[in-house]
Parts: sequence; C-alpha cells; structure tokens
Amino acid sequence: MAAGDDRALGDLYDRHAATAYALAMAIVGERADAEEVVADAFGQVWRTAAQFDPERGSVPGWLATITRTRALDLLRARGRRARAIERAAAVGDMGLAAPLAGAGDAPDRGVEREDARRLVTRSLAELPEPQRRVLELAYFGGLTQSEIAAALREPLGTVKTRMRAGLEKLRGSLAPLLSEGKS
Amino acid sequence: MTDHAWLDAAAPYALGALSAEERAAFEAHLADCAVCRADVQALREVSGLLAHAAAAATPPPALRERILREARAVRPLAARRRSLRPWLVAAASLVLAVAAGLGYWRASHARDALTRALAAARDTIAARDSLVVTLFAPDLGTAALAATGKPPSARLFWSPSRHRVVMAVFNLAPAPAGRIYQLWAIAAGKPMSLGLFNTAPDGRATVAMEVARELASFQLTAVTEEPAGGSPQPTQQPFLVGKVSGGE
Repeated sequence: MAAGDDRALGDLYDRHAATAYALAMAIVGERADAEEVVADAFGQVWRTAAQFDPERGSVPGWLATITRTRALDLLRARGRRARAIERAAAVGDMGLAAPLAGAGDAPDRGVEREDARRLVTRSLAELPEPQRRVLELAYFGGLTQSEIAAALREPLGTVKTRMRAGLEKLRGSLAPLLSEGKS
Repeated sequence: MTDHAWLDAAAPYALGALSAEERAAFEAHLADCAVCRADVQALREVSGLLAHAAAAATPPPALRERILREARAVRPLAARRRSLRPWLVAAASLVLAVAAGLGYWRASHARDALTRALAAARDTIAARDSLVVTLFAPDLGTAALAATGKPPSARLFWSPSRHRVVMAVFNLAPAPAGRIYQLWAIAAGKPMSLGLFNTAPDGRATVAMEVARELASFQLTAVTEEPAGGSPQPTQQPFLVGKVSGGE
C-alpha cells in the first residue's frame, strides 16, 4: 500500500468501501455527498499511506476516522449542520444508526464485516437509551460534548459520564472485535 | 488513577466531541501522560467500531473506478524511511521501535496540539475583533429587547454599514431539544431572519450575525423559538421584541 501499488487500493476498497459509504450516508444523508466523502477519504488514504502508523490503530479504523471527519467537514461547509443536529436530536428516533430490525439488507460481500455490523448494532441497541443517545449524537451528529449537553438540557458532567459508561459497556460487548479481545 | 483530573476528557476525546480548545489542551496533556494515552487508545478502538452501526448502504459501482482513476493521477507521498544497515537494524530494532514510536507520538502530537491551540486562539480573537468593530461602528443602532418587563432580555447592536448585528442575551434558558432561537429583523411589517442562536446553560449568549445587504434598515427586532434549523417565517408570536433606534 505504502509502496503505491494501486491493486492494494482496489483491495482496500473492496474490503472497506461499503462500511465507509454507509458511515458517510449516515452522516451526510445524501448519495452524491456520500460518494464525494468516500472518494476523498480513499484519496487521502492513498496519498498518506506512508505516514500510517500501525502501532496507533487499524487500517479500517483509520479509514473510518478519515471518512467521518470528511463527512462532518462537508456538512459544515454546506451549512447543513443545523439540520443534522435536528435529525440527530429528534426524540425517540435513532435516525442515523441502523434500526435493529432492518439490519438485513446488507450487501453480502464479506461475512466478517456483516458479523461486525450485527454485533455493533445489537450492542448499541442494548445500551441504556441515554448512553446510546450521547454516543450517536457525538459520533454521527458530530456534536461536541457541550452542544450535546445543551441539546439534551443535561449538565455537561452527566454527558461525559454517559459517554464513558456507554463506551465501557461497548468495550465489553465488542471484545471479540477489539485487539485486546483477540487471541 | 480515578483521581486523575483528565480522565473524564478521554471518552469525549475518543468520540471527537471536544471543542478545538478542549482538544488542544487534552492533547498537550496526552503527550506527557501514558495513563491517558492508553485509555484513549482503548476507547478510540471502541468508538471507531461505531462506524459499523451505520445503516447498511451499497456504494454505486462507478465509485470504485473513480477512486482508482483519481489515485492513478496522484503519486502517493513516499515513505520516509532511512536505510540503516541490516545488522544495525537487527541489533537495535526493539529499542528503536519503542523509542521511535513514543518519540513520534510525542513530537507530532505536541506539534498538532500547538497548531490547534494557535488556530483556536486566532478564531477567538477574530470573533472578538468582529464584535468590537461592529460595536464601534459610527452608524450604530441599538435595540433593547424585552418580554413585558420580565427576564429574559436582550440588547441588539446593529451596524448598517458593516452589515452586522451583535446581540447579547440574558436570562434565557437554552432552547429545548430539537428547538432553537431565531432572531428576526422586521422592516415595513415583514420579518426577515437574521440567524439562529442558542444560549449557554447560564442563560447567556453573545452572537454576531451577518445582515443581508438588501436590508438597509429595520424598525423592529424580535426573537422566536423555532424547530432546530430555523424557519423561513416565524411560526409563533415573538417572546422578545425591541424597537431599533439609530442605525440610519
């Protein structure tokens, strides 16, 4: 990859494009924008692969981080952040993350990815609602902790505590997908 | 470990939910704190998996070709790897790996943190400058917005020549979830949106907004509560109204 072999980019795309695209869609909400985001993200991975440090994370993790950042940037640039916040904050509506029941229509490429998707979706759905909410608002809505506190009318400390509690619970239930949980 | 003052920043950081200033401060701390670094790395790995929670969506087939085509047009940055003699590499690999990893993390993160802190400080100063410039405009108009003698209240400053308004709001509870406050200029009985704002938990806000160039003057200004994202026209009676004086 770092050597500039473009077959490697093709492989990377085949393995991770669906996840990146789904993530971009969840954030920007429109197909053309999501394509733009994914193309940008892969472009950045391609250009900067040499600087990637495996010590600090996995390649899919890196790609997801770049995709999410690009998607939130695009939302901001288009001045659509307010709408996204509204969407994210709508009471009782998960909106952004996959609904548990509808998790079936996935493209069939990659059983491993499908397993990951199922496990993450289920683990997230099993979190207490207030914890799940702050995680979704932060991750998919791109809200800062203070914005979340204001949107939910909760003290900032409560928001921080819920973020920590939610991530710690996920860490337990997602152990099979984490490096410390793999043997 | 539990009395560590920074510990509650790690989860918001891993979720990308710190403001630019908070993030810069925390990253400066990370460069020196192995406990937080380990904490962040573990939490980041978890938060990164949230990408899998997005509803499934299939990218269009043409996207793959587009990405490969664009990649062929760009040469990737070359790996900056020094060629050390093999025996030296063998002898030192373990030490080098540990030291270089830590050194790289420290140097690059301290630099990133500084760059961000600087950018955040510049933004803050630019925002203040813009406030000050508006407040000292020679053609300043003002309005005191009140809700029939009781709190909340607001004070509006308007500079027609600079096409800006600055408003300070007091004693106004933040808008409920999914709602936001919208400021209106009313000229000849017609409301025109000036922008959206929300207050901090202490009920205060200072906001600066651009005014459309077509709007040469307005007589009244008002605030309504609207669905997040704002409304093209007010959907309720304003709860704050003020008459503009000056600003001609």
